[in-house]
Amino acid sequence: MNLLYAKGKEVLHSLVPLVLVVVVLCFTIIEVETDIFVRFLVGSAMLLMGLTLFLWGVELSMNPIGIYMSNEVATSKTFFGVVVLSFLLGFLITVAEPDLLILGSQVEEASGSTLSSTFIVYMVSLGVGLLVALGVVRLLRDKPSLNIFLLITYLVILALAFLVSEEFLAISFDASGATTGALTTPFVLALTLGLSQAKGGKHAEENSFGLVGIMSAGPILAVMSISFITGQHHIHGEASAFVPSTGILAPILESIPATFVESLVALFPISFLFFLYNGFKFKLPRKEVMGIVKGLFLVLIGLVLFLDGVHAGFMDMGRVLGMQIASMDTRLLIATGFVFGLIVVLMEPAVHVLGIQIEEVTAGYIPLSLIRLTLSLGAAIAISLSMVRITVPEVKLWYFLLPGFALALLLSFRCNPVFVGIAFDAGGVASGPMMATFVLAFAQGAASVVPTADVLVDGFGVIAMVAMTPVFSIMLLGTIFRQKKTRHGAQEIPMVKMAAASEEKAVDHTCILVVVNRGFAAEVVDLARKHGAAGATILHGRGSAEERAARIPFINVELQPEREMVLLITAAGISSLIAEQLMLERQRIFEGFLLVYSTGGDAFIKTYPEG
Amino acid sequence: MNTQENTIDTVFFAVVTKGKANALLHKAQELGARGGTIFLAEGTTRSRFLNKVNPAHAHKELVMIGAGQSLCASLHEMVFQTFKFYKRRKGIAFSIPFKHWESAAENPSSNQEPGDGYSAIITIVNRGRGVECVQAARKAGARGGTIVHGHGAGIPKEYFFPLSIEPQKDMVIILSKKETLQSIKDSILVSMNLADPGNGILFILPVLRTSGLFENRMVEQRGAGS
Repeated sequence: MNLLYAKGKEVLHSLVPLVLVVVVLCFTIIEVETDIFVRFLVGSAMLLMGLTLFLWGVELSMNPIGIYMSNEVATSKTFFGVVVLSFLLGFLITVAEPDLLILGSQVEEASGSTLSSTFIVYMVSLGVGLLVALGVVRLLRDKPSLNIFLLITYLVILALAFLVSEEFLAISFDASGATTGALTTPFVLALTLGLSQAKGGKHAEENSFGLVGIMSAGPILAVMSISFITGQHHIHGEASAFVPSTGILAPILESIPATFVESLVALFPISFLFFLYNGFKFKLPRKEVMGIVKGLFLVLIGLVLFLDGVHAGFMDMGRVLGMQIASMDTRLLIATGFVFGLIVVLMEPAVHVLGIQIEEVTAGYIPLSLIRLTLSLGAAIAISLSMVRITVPEVKLWYFLLPGFALALLLSFRCNPVFVGIAFDAGGVASGPMMATFVLAFAQGAASVVPTADVLVDGFGVIAMVAMTPVFSIMLLGTIFRQKKTRHGAQEIPMVKMAAASEEKAVDHTCILVVVNRGFAAEVVDLARKHGAAGATILHGRGSAEERAARIPFINVELQPEREMVLLITAAGISSLIAEQLMLERQRIFEGFLLVYSTGGDAFIKTYPEG
Repeated sequence: MNTQENTIDTVFFAVVTKGKANALLHKAQELGARGGTIFLAEGTTRSRFLNKVNPAHAHKELVMIGAGQSLCASLHEMVFQTFKFYKRRKGIAFSIPFKHWESAAENPSSNQEPGDGYSAIITIVNRGRGVECVQAARKAGARGGTIVHGHGAGIPKEYFFPLSIEPQKDMVIILSKKETLQSIKDSILVSMNLADPGNGILFILPVLRTSGLFENRMVEQRGAGS
């Protein structure tokens, strides 16, 4: 199974249920114009192709760029260098985000031109840059711990939230959703991964996530401070009147040029910065640069297809569904919202990227399917609660947001530390382009029918909800993981007796494989170095579950311990010494889990020049 | 747990499509294996079109199980029966003699026949160059390779923030027949510039038995024994 096929299959798996649900609705209770219906189908096909190409391109281009840039940040010789470069990265990727421009002009219009669109865009980018810089410094210092950092950030948000109006609260969360777009999130994820790889050490895994979460607090703070600084409290907006476009191919083709330009602009700063650094500093081989260029092209084509398919094919459909179902029955509306939440979140491009990164970093210790399920449930609850909010005017947005974030932060002190970063990243990742188009249109459609609902406030609130519930649900999952984690108790040590000086004859080198629990590889290397080994290669894997296997009830997922394997190539003379020393320290250092294999006896092994 | 096997003298490796490793490990435990470790790995594709854009990789999992001789034989039997290794593209398995240091009082090794004439060439190079390494091996007659991501031991460096830079590495496992061993090795050594320091290392381990390898399209090859 090759990569392209695998990606296509992955996308198809999440697309098919949505298409089926919509088709069934259209043939049973909903009356929809043929144009919209056919356009929805065409949009689905474009989405399938676009998302597949996009994800493929991200792996080829965004990931390497993120890794190279993060090395550049991490190896700065001065504090100033670290801060300025990471601020610049955060600022540049945000300022070019098309969603943010749209939001800016919407706010300009709604505020009666007292707030200019440019001002908003620059303020938000400033906020993101600042938070990214803070997040990077936190990561490199390794303190304060991520949950404390996030706690402080959200306490500041909470304090500001009391000072601004509900409209601004909704818009600030929407701005946060707008900045974590389809392009920025994969880039920032790769950046975090690269930074934590460069930093290394025991917390490398926890540090591989969290920057997206930190970054998405930037716009919230920025928009709130705008309201605070300018004294602007109330804005009144009417969502523009709904005119479904007619025709099948025309709306799709018409919007392609605009989408193309948008995507190009969004892609520009990252690519520019990379090529700039490549010219002066990295000087990568031509072949590698060509690979990245190909990847960037795939990203561009994929993004255009995806966004265009979603805009032209999904928005009108979402709107019509929302309007018609809302006018039928409240319970049906809530149920439909739940189903859409379950499915739609899996079609967010960044959700796939995050999933891949989780799997890679934890070597499959956190099952991908479980993360997806948790995300789905989170989004489903978010959208169904939003539908409740639209139909019942007494229920306010912060009734859900405040306790949700408070509980999530509380749980962050009790859950498996890796999950803290993942959870907050998931919040940013879940509120991507699919939510901002299809689900938002659905909610606005519903709100336009319900007389007590405000299209602007209630519509925006959906995004805020989708950004919150995954944080909560993943944090809950992390708590379960923490509690189910198996501890290796002290075990009886069999006496270590070496076959006295197993004479290693005519062997240049010996290969030793050492398997230990996660985090102990460094100790193995230290010990081996003390006894004469030169270097080592560390692989990251997961072990088999033991008899006391930890299982999560109901879904029957087995938790497997994370392991590291250290591969040592040592001169033949010292291999048995190293193995022996390792076994002696088994209990004291390695929590009682240690496996040592070596090519011993007369097994031959040849090595070639060692670097 | 099976008690008739006390001495672990081989390590059984299997490369399977991603997602199958858990099932394989379960089966192995039913057969008496004490446990195993799973790594994420990449295989290589042969499609011309995909090679143009991106020559890596199908997602795979590498399973590693310590085993004694008879367990190892039954593991090979198991992957052959249950995981259909007699078909192409289902996966490969091989076992390498290793001494296990837990109960190493007496090592009865060395009475193992050197299997069906395969060797495992293991190359460790900087991250991203693993694919080149497989391509070099292909030129010299290898069928393919498996790439596992790893990182080198940290070298503490003082930038503004004290980092321990962990250079990212690719570990490439290539199985080769005795006849092609020399040429594949040379091809990798030359094209990866391994003679110069810092470019990587290469070593060769003997293989006792393999399953699931096909030397050419029609012939089905099966490990010794059974």
